[in-house]
Amino acid sequence: MLLRTFFSSLLPAALAASALAAPADLLAIRVGRAETVSHGAIEHAVILIEDGRIVTIGADLPVERGIPVIERPEWTVMPGLVLPYSRLGLDGSAGSEFAPDVSPAPEVLPRLSDYRDALELGITTIGLYPPGNGVPGQAIAIRPKGDTLEEMLIKEGAYLKVYFRADARSKKMIKDAWAKVDDYDDKVKKAKEKWTKDQEKSKSSKKPAEGEKKDEEKSDKPAEKASDSGKGAAKSFVPPPPDDKVRPFLRVRDGKLLPLVSISQSADWAHWLDAIGERKFDFALRVVMQRELDLYYVLEEVAKRKCTLVMEPEITYQVATMRQRNLPAEFASAGNRIVLIPRGEELDAHASWRVDVGDLVKNGLERKSALDALTLAGAAVMGLEKDYGSLEKGKVANLLFLDGDPFEPATKVMAVMLDGEFVHGEVRQ
Amino acid sequence: MKASFEGSVMRSAAWLFALAPLLSGGVFAQEGGESQGGGEGEASSSGDEAKDEGDWFAVVGGDVHTGTGAVLRGATVLARGGVIREIGHEVDIPADAKLLDATGLRVYPGLVALNVRGVANRFGSGDYADSFDPYSQNLVLALAAGITTVSEGSVALKLKRREVKGVVMRERFLSTLNYSTSAPRSKGELEQKFDAAAAYLRRYREWEEQKKSNKDLKEPPARGVDPSIRAILENRTLARFNSTSRTDLLGIARLAQKHKFRPVVEGAVEAWTVADELGRAGAYAVVVPRTRRDKSEELVRAGGSSIENAAILHRSGVQVAIQASSTFVDLGGIAGRDILHLPIEAGFAVRGGLPEQAALDGITIVPARILGVDHRVGSLEVGKDCDLILLDGDLLHYQSLVQYTVVDGKLVYEKDKELYYAHIRPRPVAQAADAPQARRDKGEDAASASDSDGDGEGKPEDKPEEKPEEKPEEKPEEKPGDGASDGDSDGRAD
Repeated sequence: MLLRTFFSSLLPAALAASALAAPADLLAIRVGRAETVSHGAIEHAVILIEDGRIVTIGADLPVERGIPVIERPEWTVMPGLVLPYSRLGLDGSAGSEFAPDVSPAPEVLPRLSDYRDALELGITTIGLYPPGNGVPGQAIAIRPKGDTLEEMLIKEGAYLKVYFRADARSKKMIKDAWAKVDDYDDKVKKAKEKWTKDQEKSKSSKKPAEGEKKDEEKSDKPAEKASDSGKGAAKSFVPPPPDDKVRPFLRVRDGKLLPLVSISQSADWAHWLDAIGERKFDFALRVVMQRELDLYYVLEEVAKRKCTLVMEPEITYQVATMRQRNLPAEFASAGNRIVLIPRGEELDAHASWRVDVGDLVKNGLERKSALDALTLAGAAVMGLEKDYGSLEKGKVANLLFLDGDPFEPATKVMAVMLDGEFVHGEVRQ
Repeated sequence: MKASFEGSVMRSAAWLFALAPLLSGGVFAQEGGESQGGGEGEASSSGDEAKDEGDWFAVVGGDVHTGTGAVLRGATVLARGGVIREIGHEVDIPADAKLLDATGLRVYPGLVALNVRGVANRFGSGDYADSFDPYSQNLVLALAAGITTVSEGSVALKLKRREVKGVVMRERFLSTLNYSTSAPRSKGELEQKFDAAAAYLRRYREWEEQKKSNKDLKEPPARGVDPSIRAILENRTLARFNSTSRTDLLGIARLAQKHKFRPVVEGAVEAWTVADELGRAGAYAVVVPRTRRDKSEELVRAGGSSIENAAILHRSGVQVAIQASSTFVDLGGIAGRDILHLPIEAGFAVRGGLPEQAALDGITIVPARILGVDHRVGSLEVGKDCDLILLDGDLLHYQSLVQYTVVDGKLVYEKDKELYYAHIRPRPVAQAADAPQARRDKGEDAASASDSDGDGEGKPEDKPEEKPEEKPEEKPEEKPGDGASDGDSDGRAD
């Protein structure tokens, strides 16, 4: 395993070195240990960074002369923390509404000290969700640095926030949302039938077969095609554009938008399943951790659905007892992916985030799941796992440098790198 | 379910989804507010479906107290899809049936608790179908107490565990009326409403008769007729009164006799003083046998509470339902007064002279009738829901604990596996693991220990009175309670 990593990473290193006519942005960092998250830990790791991305990572890689090297054998590096579920720096509020098209982007005030603080703690990617209950809108992913929103923004529509409780209103909201999707599908179907008839009438002689084939393709993704309606209306079928409130759920149906469903007990889960009925789509769960939480009843059911759970690193109690339960660990060992987020909105909670997760590790959570829960799993919830969340070739160089194990309370942040640049810590070559 | 679906598949699925209610009415009817009064139709349609499919489930070798008067020793209850298919001795059990060994245990219908609060743990403002908590602690405790059906507010609920479908059995079957001599004006208005509704119904029936000969006749106007009173007079709903005093109860009985409807009187503390009148009215009485109330100073006649209340009412032909003195699961208050001790409450009525069969009826079939769900629950009969409880002794004995609870043909509570009572008189391991074949001898033991309780189905009516029910001092399986389970579970439920 190690050997393979070594070889696979040696090759690009050599390539990079050979193409080193102008080593402008190249930077090598040699540290004692790298927690890659995706491929385990690498001792004596060397990371080569170019243009804000990781070019290669491996153990004891030789570094071409001329490339600046930062030698920190006493440091541990891990991916910058990914916090997918946050209201950091936002203070808007909203009621309980069905507004799946809303984005929190207008709320964001760049250059807030909150973002600076988060960055100094090693949080390099943040998912901000819109306020309110019901279906309040879609989250955005940002980097906590930048003078303008554009500079900060990584992705719009990171996930769809759904607040679900076991009550008639929540269930009706979800059922109505899907009913609207069905209505829209009917509308598209009718429009298509009409269009096909018109086509046959107007040019019955001209190759209808090809035309029909095109329809099929088009109507498979009506939400997409609605946008390019400018193209010749006669040639291809253009479905009617969906309503703004329908479009997000079309994307959910097509697997392009992940609903993050907030629940707080097993009953919510049971009624959520009842509300979505036979529909098949991916969703993640946001679990509100309370002192007593009865979610252990549905561990296996949730695992069957392969849901990612977003939860705080808290030990909870079995209902009406003093029996402690490490639910994140239980969910992880049942086969669910978990995302752990700070226990509160305040700075202290963010500062103790790693250590809080470390407490769960001491209480039985697998270390691997814990590291994943701080980084890659969070990126995956936002659909950013291709670029963020682990130390891999090609990924964005968001790095967190520590002077020891990430889960030890005494461990301090030594430096933070965002997009290949040190943004915190004194680092000299 | 992981991958996103092809558009075409999704479309057809969505289309089917939209069509589903038209085709069967099944999925949506179950959860929607369909059950307003149309309980019968819904039950029969879904029942027919359930009969032909679903999992087989059999309770084998127990002494089955059917609740209809018959007790079948060492019998089998066979259910499919949650509906009882057969009860008897030589029942062919399909190979794939799930078996529950009831050897040495008594099988009773699941209990029906009236006017409960907080068991279904309603969170939101919506109806129970959308807010029932199938995982709540109170629900499990209620199942542990043998309760399988409750009424909260005006809704009859099946206590399903881990499921939210089909929880609401019937809604708004009871309509609450106020009748109090201390509020003479509203009392008078109520009487007028009844008179008006009765007069209207007479006109209506006359019209129906005359319509046959004269088709031009117009339907009499229903103006000024209270629809809820009309529903009562047409026996579509039951009238519920909350009255404790003798005069009120007498007034209600007279009103009911005059208009020929069956009143449900709750509270009914002094009902024993007017039991004959209530009996003539065909009333249901919901009593709390442990209620204590002094008689009014002004009253010359008998009054106040009586331990004989339930017994006297029963003798007078009133159907007695028994309710616990506090209506919720109470883990902090005085043990034994909340709904977790419903059979003990019934035991107090037995102490006052109520026959045991009537006491059993008072926590099963009578409350089921009051809720309009007696076609589904309240006794063990073929065609009814397979809701039953298994106890290690007589239901009304203070020492008996519910060992298993079955709702809709599914095992939902098992004493030895739950936190609450597992450590109290745990069942011997060998017996629990026993195969159903070895049932006979155990059954006989239990039968001989308890006297001639169920020798024949021939005389179901007078049987209850004949025997002072056994109090098994020492049960064969009893062990000194050594707190088998771990520390933090002990004494929870009390």
